[in-house]
Amino acid sequence: MILRHDTEPMPAPAALRPSPIAWLIAPALLLFVLFFVLPFSVMAVMSVYSGNPVTNPNAFLTTRHYMRFIVDDADIFHDALWATLKIGFITTVISLLIGYPLAHWMARMQSRLGHVLVLMAVIAPLLTGIVVRTFAWMTILQDKGVINTTLMSWGLISKPLPLMYNEFGTVVALVHIYVPFMVLTLTGVIGRIDERLEQAARSLGAGRIRAFVEVTLPLSLPGVLAGSLLVFALSISAYVTPSLMGGNDVLTLPMLIAQQVGTSFNPNFAGALGMILLVVCLIIVIAYNKILTRLTGEKGLA
Amino acid sequence: MSSAAIKLDQVTKTFDGKVIAVDGVTLDIEAGEFFSLLGPSGCGKTTSLRMIAGFEQPDSGRVHVGGQDITDVPVHKRDMGMVFQSYALFPHRTVAENVAFGLRMRDVPKPEIARRVASALAQVALTGLEARKPGQLSGGQQQRVALARALVIEPRVLLCDEPLGALDRKLRQQMQFELKELQRRLGVTLVFVTHDQEEALAMSDRIAVMNQGKVEQIGSPTEIYEKPRTRFVADFIGEINLLDDGPKPRALRPEKIRLGPAAEARLAGTIETANFVGGATLYRVRAADNRAFLVRETHAGERAPRAAGDAVGLSWNDTDTVSLEG
Repeated sequence: MILRHDTEPMPAPAALRPSPIAWLIAPALLLFVLFFVLPFSVMAVMSVYSGNPVTNPNAFLTTRHYMRFIVDDADIFHDALWATLKIGFITTVISLLIGYPLAHWMARMQSRLGHVLVLMAVIAPLLTGIVVRTFAWMTILQDKGVINTTLMSWGLISKPLPLMYNEFGTVVALVHIYVPFMVLTLTGVIGRIDERLEQAARSLGAGRIRAFVEVTLPLSLPGVLAGSLLVFALSISAYVTPSLMGGNDVLTLPMLIAQQVGTSFNPNFAGALGMILLVVCLIIVIAYNKILTRLTGEKGLA
Repeated sequence: MSSAAIKLDQVTKTFDGKVIAVDGVTLDIEAGEFFSLLGPSGCGKTTSLRMIAGFEQPDSGRVHVGGQDITDVPVHKRDMGMVFQSYALFPHRTVAENVAFGLRMRDVPKPEIARRVASALAQVALTGLEARKPGQLSGGQQQRVALARALVIEPRVLLCDEPLGALDRKLRQQMQFELKELQRRLGVTLVFVTHDQEEALAMSDRIAVMNQGKVEQIGSPTEIYEKPRTRFVADFIGEINLLDDGPKPRALRPEKIRLGPAAEARLAGTIETANFVGGATLYRVRAADNRAFLVRETHAGERAPRAAGDAVGLSWNDTDTVSLEG
């Protein structure tokens, strides 16, 4: 430690003085506090009370909502958590498999016009609401939908294939809805990788595929990571699509939470379920980040 | 290290069906030669190099290396080293891994890879930096890694696309010497693309000056400098005075003009500007007939440099002028 004996006050380090531009983040900060921190705190508090502590003076602190989830004799809640994660995982993997080649193609496209056209095609579905897109899938996938009636009229099948009201239909619709997020994230990252790196690899004796695997793929992993986390987070919190496409076959945690709030009038248990989903999600995100970081030796997102 | 001759035979390349990048270029590059493709940007020099490397496929014409037609051989089977302007080092790999890459692709056994990487790094004076990532190196060091990475596979041909362009002047000059030295020692055929005429003159055994997709002139640096064949070459290489007074345009280098008393000279004029360029001064002289001349005068002995406003006479020998094709 350095003792200073001079009487003049030390000037504050420049880094600590807020820039006048810092005020511009105030609206974002306000929004964040109002619509994330506040509701989240309410949810966290509710999850450890027996009732609403504001309106009900008899409400007491309890862990029974968490215990209810943990004990779960009927395995309903565990199954819902498992179904949520499974749907999220499958949706993410398929979005990655569809999105990566598309993003690579877009990022490496020479023609500006072509790039704009493909970008518009990728973004266009986002301009339609999720409900509309989900209904569109219903007309395609249901028992009397386009696919089943066509196949039956060709005599290829005698009774309709179970294309929706199950996990399959849910995943199909979720992939369609969230693939643009994957593509946009990946395109940005792949576009910043110098094409000459792959050319250098090829000139050193790597075939096209080998050059891609050795150079472009590892360098695009931060994009893979960001894109997958985005799609995973969006699909495990999806409510509308699993409700409409899943029928009675699929019960995800967001659906269960909506049930608890809407029909069972148990916001405290809903809060606990929300916290559980969040914690599980965080653990998965951190683990995923760790694994990718170790695999590539690169810095992850965190 | 064995080296190979390269032959481009009437090679043409167009982009998007309309822009002619390379237009019927024929080049004979000898084995072990330091050969430069020199020209302004967009002249087709880089496209020519990329066709030798295999990154571009010629629309017509053939590419031969070592007497073998390799026009249809894919890039990774051509066994050529390439150094890119941006170095194109793999940012996620260490220096040693970068250099080892080509050997790994050739399934060279590990102990041999280690030995050859170490010797390649020693060759470019980078021993001790094996574990660094490219981002932790200076521009000059990255340049050497790129060179080591290309040379460790013992290519028959080394292709360099403006490899020194990103370095500052001093470092560039040092690397010019080192690259030339290395090329001579290894005896590898080196094709060097540059827009810097000084660089090309300093390093090359032979130069092809390119303009608008065509080769304007091929020759040794002295030939290109002393006997430019076209107006473009004369103008592009060094400073030049173009004399348009005869039936054919003629070129006259600034150092071939002598300054003296106006009475004994061919032309009288006045010095407009005098730029000291270190060891010599480059004058811009306005002649009596209003033509401007560039004159380079080296400072011999105690002769004081002339100043702007001085009246001078210009003289030269007719044998020092070069007739140009147009």
